[in-house]
Amino acid sequence: MRTIPVFRRTRTQTAKSAAAKDIQISSQWRLIYLKFKRHKLARISMYVLGFLYLVALFAQFIAPYGLQSYDSKYVNASPMTIRFIDSEGKFHLRPFVYELKSARDPETMRKIFVADPEKRYSLQFFVKGEEYKFLGMFSTTRHLFGVEEPGRLFLLGTDAMGRDMFSRIVLGSQISLSIPLVGVGISFVLGLIIGGISGYFGGWIDSIIQRIIEIIRSFPTLPLWMALSAAIPPRIPIVTMYLYIVIIFAFIGWTDLARVVRGKFISLKNEDYVVAAKIAGVGNTKIIVKHLLPGFLSYLVVATTLAIPNMILGETAMSFLGLGIRSPATSWGVLLQEAQKIENVALYPWKLIPLAFVVLTVLAYNFLGDGLRDAADPYKK
Amino acid sequence: MLQYSIKRILMAIPVVVFISFIVFYIIQLPPGDYVSSYSAQMTAAGEVMTQEDMDQMRANLGLDRPVYEQYAIWIKKIVLHGDFGFSFNYNKPVLDVVKQYMGLTLVVSLVTMAFQYLVAIPIGIYTAVKQYSAEDYFFSGISFLGMATPNFLLAIILMYLSYTWFGDPLLGLFSNEYVNAPWSMAKLMDLLKHLVIPVIVIGLASTADLIRVMRGQMLDELNKPNVVTARSKGLSEAKILFKYPTRAALNPIVSTFGWSLSSIFTGSTITAIVLNLPIQGPVMYKALLGQDMYLAGSWLLFMALLTVLGTLISDILLAWLDPKIRTEFRGN
Amino acid sequence: MKRSHSLLVLLMCMVVLAAGCTSNNTAQPSETKKAVETGEAKPTPVAVEGTEGLKEAPMLAALVTDGKLPPVEERMPVAADIMIEPVVEEIGQYGGDWNMAWNGPGDKWGVGMITEEALFRFNKEGNKVEPNVAKSFEVNDDSTVFTIHLREGMRWSDGQPFTADDVLFYWEHMLTKETFGKKIYDAYYSVDPVSGEKALAEVKKVDDYTFTVTHKYPSVQFLERVAIDNKWFFAPSHFHKTILPEFVGDAKTLEITKQWGYEDPKQFLVETGYYYWLYPQIPTLRPWIAKTDANSDQFIMERNPYYWKTDEAGQQLPYLDRIVENKIQDPSQKLLGTLSGEYNFGTFDAGDFTVLKENEKKGSFRVIPWTQPTWSSNGIQLNQTTKDANLRKLFQDIRFREAISIGVNREEVSDIVTNGLADPIQASVPEGVVGYQEGWAQQWAEFDPDRANQLLDEIGLTKRDKNNFRMFADGSDLTLTIFESDPNKNAFLELLKKYFEDLGLKTNIKLVDNGALFDLKYANEVPIHTENISVANVALRPDTLVPLRIITPWFGHYGLYSQSGGTEGVKPEGDVAEILNIWNKIKASKSADEINQLANELYKIHMKNQWVIGYAGPTPTLLVAANNLRNIPGDLVWVDEYRTLGHAHPAQFFIK
Repeated sequence: MRTIPVFRRTRTQTAKSAAAKDIQISSQWRLIYLKFKRHKLARISMYVLGFLYLVALFAQFIAPYGLQSYDSKYVNASPMTIRFIDSEGKFHLRPFVYELKSARDPETMRKIFVADPEKRYSLQFFVKGEEYKFLGMFSTTRHLFGVEEPGRLFLLGTDAMGRDMFSRIVLGSQISLSIPLVGVGISFVLGLIIGGISGYFGGWIDSIIQRIIEIIRSFPTLPLWMALSAAIPPRIPIVTMYLYIVIIFAFIGWTDLARVVRGKFISLKNEDYVVAAKIAGVGNTKIIVKHLLPGFLSYLVVATTLAIPNMILGETAMSFLGLGIRSPATSWGVLLQEAQKIENVALYPWKLIPLAFVVLTVLAYNFLGDGLRDAADPYKK
Repeated sequence: MLQYSIKRILMAIPVVVFISFIVFYIIQLPPGDYVSSYSAQMTAAGEVMTQEDMDQMRANLGLDRPVYEQYAIWIKKIVLHGDFGFSFNYNKPVLDVVKQYMGLTLVVSLVTMAFQYLVAIPIGIYTAVKQYSAEDYFFSGISFLGMATPNFLLAIILMYLSYTWFGDPLLGLFSNEYVNAPWSMAKLMDLLKHLVIPVIVIGLASTADLIRVMRGQMLDELNKPNVVTARSKGLSEAKILFKYPTRAALNPIVSTFGWSLSSIFTGSTITAIVLNLPIQGPVMYKALLGQDMYLAGSWLLFMALLTVLGTLISDILLAWLDPKIRTEFRGN
Repeated sequence: MKRSHSLLVLLMCMVVLAAGCTSNNTAQPSETKKAVETGEAKPTPVAVEGTEGLKEAPMLAALVTDGKLPPVEERMPVAADIMIEPVVEEIGQYGGDWNMAWNGPGDKWGVGMITEEALFRFNKEGNKVEPNVAKSFEVNDDSTVFTIHLREGMRWSDGQPFTADDVLFYWEHMLTKETFGKKIYDAYYSVDPVSGEKALAEVKKVDDYTFTVTHKYPSVQFLERVAIDNKWFFAPSHFHKTILPEFVGDAKTLEITKQWGYEDPKQFLVETGYYYWLYPQIPTLRPWIAKTDANSDQFIMERNPYYWKTDEAGQQLPYLDRIVENKIQDPSQKLLGTLSGEYNFGTFDAGDFTVLKENEKKGSFRVIPWTQPTWSSNGIQLNQTTKDANLRKLFQDIRFREAISIGVNREEVSDIVTNGLADPIQASVPEGVVGYQEGWAQQWAEFDPDRANQLLDEIGLTKRDKNNFRMFADGSDLTLTIFESDPNKNAFLELLKKYFEDLGLKTNIKLVDNGALFDLKYANEVPIHTENISVANVALRPDTLVPLRIITPWFGHYGLYSQSGGTEGVKPEGDVAEILNIWNKIKASKSADEINQLANELYKIHMKNQWVIGYAGPTPTLLVAANNLRNIPGDLVWVDEYRTLGHAHPAQFFIK
């Protein structure tokens, strides 16, 4: 009987775990949680993601400048040095930056920036800047930090139109971090339900669903996107546009998950305990939820956490092909698309900084998924 | 089993027919046709294209007919003569264009795939056995990094680094002097040199995936009772490892192999564009953009066939490898 | 490997050169007058002291020695008729490849223009044409009969003689029969000054090396227009006789079409009749001839052994052995390949200026800017016939055009979008180009948002919607939609959108694919587009400034009206009608002075109306050449009419 190893597992756990008393009476989810807590990297990743999402939530407040703060004076400026010691060697408790004086190299036309030690601007909290709506509720001009006008603060340099890269990265995170969740959500639900039905019931239902999946997988997505971007009126909100794309992504993406779910269902439904449950007259839904799903939860968790970064990367690929979001609306994909010019890689490498954020997010999601997987693994000691 | 396979193959036929129609329809969905994109290009180059010129050209190419008629003609030729139509862009029969790029496409894909599996499976096993060790984190980190960097950017960065360090950005698959040269040792070496970046860029992305799956499966298997039993019986670790868990863990990888069949031929289109690889992916992308519809259509149809075929192979492999599913087939 | 190979070739060249120099080189160049460079109406026969002074490339000399090729004297025209191409810097030496990045066979003109040999070509300044394939010409006093002389002994690249028959064949069996998908060019029609009726010219053979073109009415600009409309007024009759249905019958043509891999005979004849330089099978007069399939990853053209030009030292051109066009898929590959020296030549937009300049030393190349006769590098055209009635009225209102012109800060646009390379000026004819007007560049160029807003209020756009955007006086939505197909224009469009919306004008940017945009233009669905005007002389190429057919955004369906003879489209009125009126006068004009004066009037109307609004002045085209690739002129104009790079006469480029 299959129940024996499960029982034994619990006992082994008991012997090893520090929080022994809790575990003896814990539900499966509680067990998962306790084990997850022990996975250090996953925990750190969770905090990192939490932080990123928090930043995204308050992006307008955190970013010192808006998306349309073009300024020809500061085109392609490198990241500023935050200083504590001024040119005369005096120490200042409050960090400050120097004003940038810009000129062009007459030979190469490259902008050259020189810090002007005469003009010092201290970093301050809650400075006045561009007006925005705080959490969409009330208008304000206060930003978390910055320097007094006319000073400028470019923590991560500027882009080819003189906009602050830090602000763009922060504001771009809103789209990049939120919309993939929607896509993954859709494909998760579709994949689980349709794949589950296909695998559990089998027979002609299975055949039809499998054929539909084959057809969907053969869909040429590129002309579909091209048709879509031509058909969508230009002024619909950028987010909506991107949402459409993500939904299409999802409508194709669910097929992968569905096939896996189906495979698992087929192999699990002939397990003794499932057969036993069936004979005992347990309803289909209950069998699926109670007996089948837990059997491959770990796989689902991995698949989902891996799918989110794939969506984030998918968005960057769309931007590369010129589909999807376009500046001034900003996502990380847009920033990477701008960075991929040879000119930027060669002369203005700080434009690659958004890459670090993408990598960080994707890594965090992966480690998180890893931790969840390990935690959900029923055999893991 | 055999009966099942035959049934599956028969069922695939209407699917393919249906797909062929959808494909043909979707290609024409975006506004404009081949003649308009061609005329735009020629006008940009300073040539004057009048309305009559364009009408004439549409008539020449048969683009003035309704979509269903074009589809019917196209399918009829495929079925009766094995003629997949004509590529407007290349001024060549579609099959010739496909043939022209097939060789190098296979080289790139197979080398990349070999790289993936050779790297991913051992690392997957290793990281599972040494879970939470420094090595586990190191390999996981590397593989994630490869996956987390968008392909096109990684390709550009590597090209630029190759240029700054070695003075050669390694564009394409051959240096200029070897493109049209007959095969020789030097040309082969040149090809291998140029394959480094594509293999890293294309390979790394899916390697990470594979490592994760392999590691996950291994972890599942390693703690199963049969392994515990084997260990308690005093079998050597290596023997235990390869006898049971590795075999079992390979199942999903092997069984999903068929699904990647179509990706062997398309490769990674975006990376190939960035790296200037003369393979199918970019050719098809261009055909789609320029509405070179018979080329694009035939290719998509071919891909659809491979997808259907790949699924078929996967199903059969899955059944063959997993006794539980095998019973299911008998039950059918 | 590669380097040692080219070194060898170089050494061989030097040996051959040294051998040649000692014998003949001293007297020849100074005494050879340039018969063809004058472009005068009267041919000036020139005595050359025999053809034994001719020198050829080592690769050809080897073939001659092997008996595979006749000696150079037999391959070239008679001594007096050889064209001497002046070199830009110095007499060159043979050998080497011209390595470039290429967008593939879609970029037919990329290789077409650099190898082109026109009957008449524009001179360096671009103010008149000079004979090229033709040796010389005469014209009668009222510009109706043009007598054109060809070069005796000149041959096609397969060794067959090139004669007046090839011209007549082209005229009779190809051009007037429209076998290659083009209508008979406008250049061949003369216009009755009174009735405006068009008459087709007559072409007659005089002898093997002379033919005449006779117009019914004076055609002052005939040669210039041929140089633009129909660069090659000839075709290899011996080749086309083997494929044209008129000679071989429809069935045979179809068979040949299939043999070549083509589907449709008409399309096949377009390709072979018009884009002939891409096919190794078709003989040409060009310095290099195709050697490989243009669809392969590398398109190679090799020197034409029968090329009919020499340098002043009697060396048969071209200097460079081959043109090697390497197919690329993304513009960044051209840049990287040029930086790394993989390609020894490339042309770039001003956008790449900084990265090229910064790497000049490292990559040992040089950046050579050529000016463009472009009105602006970043600007918009307002479709005067746009479908929406409200919008059309607005676009036709000169105050509106002024408002959106002065509502944009050109200093910012120029600095951000063009790297500071362009002047912050209005769209206007640049100084030194035909049609230049004093003060045009400064017209409405000063940033003045207050006045812009005041103008918009004056027009009646005072109502505002809930987002504070202006509405039409009748309360309907006012949206400016700018169509664009080039994703690289995004920075400019972003800025423009910001400035327009600051004025309260809701602005949409619609990025569409090239082909789709083309269709939209024809359907009059493009209200605003970012195309820039680039024209050397309106009298020679009116398409973008005179609404003759649908092609340029600003006049939209006025063009359809002219094209359809008044049955479709929008009837031109006011100043647009005046432009057409002037154009008709130009066509029927009897003297060059009159044409210049009329053209100037036409430009003045454009200046007054400013249908095309520019936000940054022209930027140069950048030629990037490896330091050892020599004889590339630096002071030329990059424009289609002069055949862009072809204007530099690439046959005399060489590798030092």
